[in-house]
Amino acid sequence: MTIPEDFKTRLKIAKSKIRKQVQSDSGKRGSFMGSAFKLGTELVAAVAVGTIIGFILDSWFDTKPWLMIIFFFLGAASGMLNVIRTANRMQKEE
Amino acid sequence: MQQFSVHKIGPEIKIAGVDLSFTNASLFMIISTFAILIFLFLGTKERKIVPDKVQLIAEMFYSFVAKMISDTAGSKAKPYFPFIFSLFMFVLFCNMIGMLPYSFTVTSHIIVTLILALFIFVAVTIIGFAKHGLKYLSIFVPSGVPAVLLPLITIIEIISYLSRPVSLSVRLFANMMAGHTMLKVFGGFVISLGILGGWLPLSFSVALTGLEILVAFLQAYVFAILTCIYLNDALNLHH
Repeated sequence: MTIPEDFKTRLKIAKSKIRKQVQSDSGKRGSFMGSAFKLGTELVAAVAVGTIIGFILDSWFDTKPWLMIIFFFLGAASGMLNVIRTANRMQKEE
Repeated sequence: MQQFSVHKIGPEIKIAGVDLSFTNASLFMIISTFAILIFLFLGTKERKIVPDKVQLIAEMFYSFVAKMISDTAGSKAKPYFPFIFSLFMFVLFCNMIGMLPYSFTVTSHIIVTLILALFIFVAVTIIGFAKHGLKYLSIFVPSGVPAVLLPLITIIEIISYLSRPVSLSVRLFANMMAGHTMLKVFGGFVISLGILGGWLPLSFSVALTGLEILVAFLQAYVFAILTCIYLNDALNLHH
């Protein structure tokens, strides 16, 4: 029994498609997991950095505790900004 | 805990009041560096067309990092391949050697990861200024923001930029330390529950060891990919 020529080419195309899909799937999953790990610490780190900056500025200008409070909220805002950016990047990769 | 304690090996060395003694942390950094060197030496020694196992793994690491760089930072980041590759391999080997019993996990100390992250942070900032000059400061000023909000947004952007090394180092450190602590806690349960009840925490311990090996790899990957992303921000200004 011989296999017709057009079936052979179709099989070839289908096989190459499968291989491509498998490769891109495994690559994407790795970077998704990486981004997911990124989200959590990103938020906390920005809040911490903001508060520390406020604390340092407070001891410079002798305005305890006002700048620390202000920079705490600014840090929280930049943490959310970081999270949104990371989420956007994750969606772009999709 | 005993597995996290740093102790001196050999004599105390002090240079200009700074304690530079050789510790077990230094020992394990040297061990992982030599492990990488030996592994890559064996992997690239014969250069067969049909690779053997060691060569295959070494080539896999190479193409993995090369693909990661070209995917996230584009072709402009090619010159930084050696740096990112050695960074990835160092963190990976430190994490993996830390998984061996009686060894010391270098990356479970925040000072180690913080210095790595600060080095990346300073290097990326210098690269950014060297490539773009003062125009690099435009990453703090996003386009399309009303003038009233601009000072506020700029401060938020600066905090976000400064938080990079902190989030980078804390993520690696916290993951490694938490994992090892959890393994220790479950190991303690096995001892305290004895031969009758100890089997359940023992099986948890085995499962967690597998998870920890995954985390060790994943954190090295995340560390390297974030370096690529920061490098991308410095090389291609398009905010």
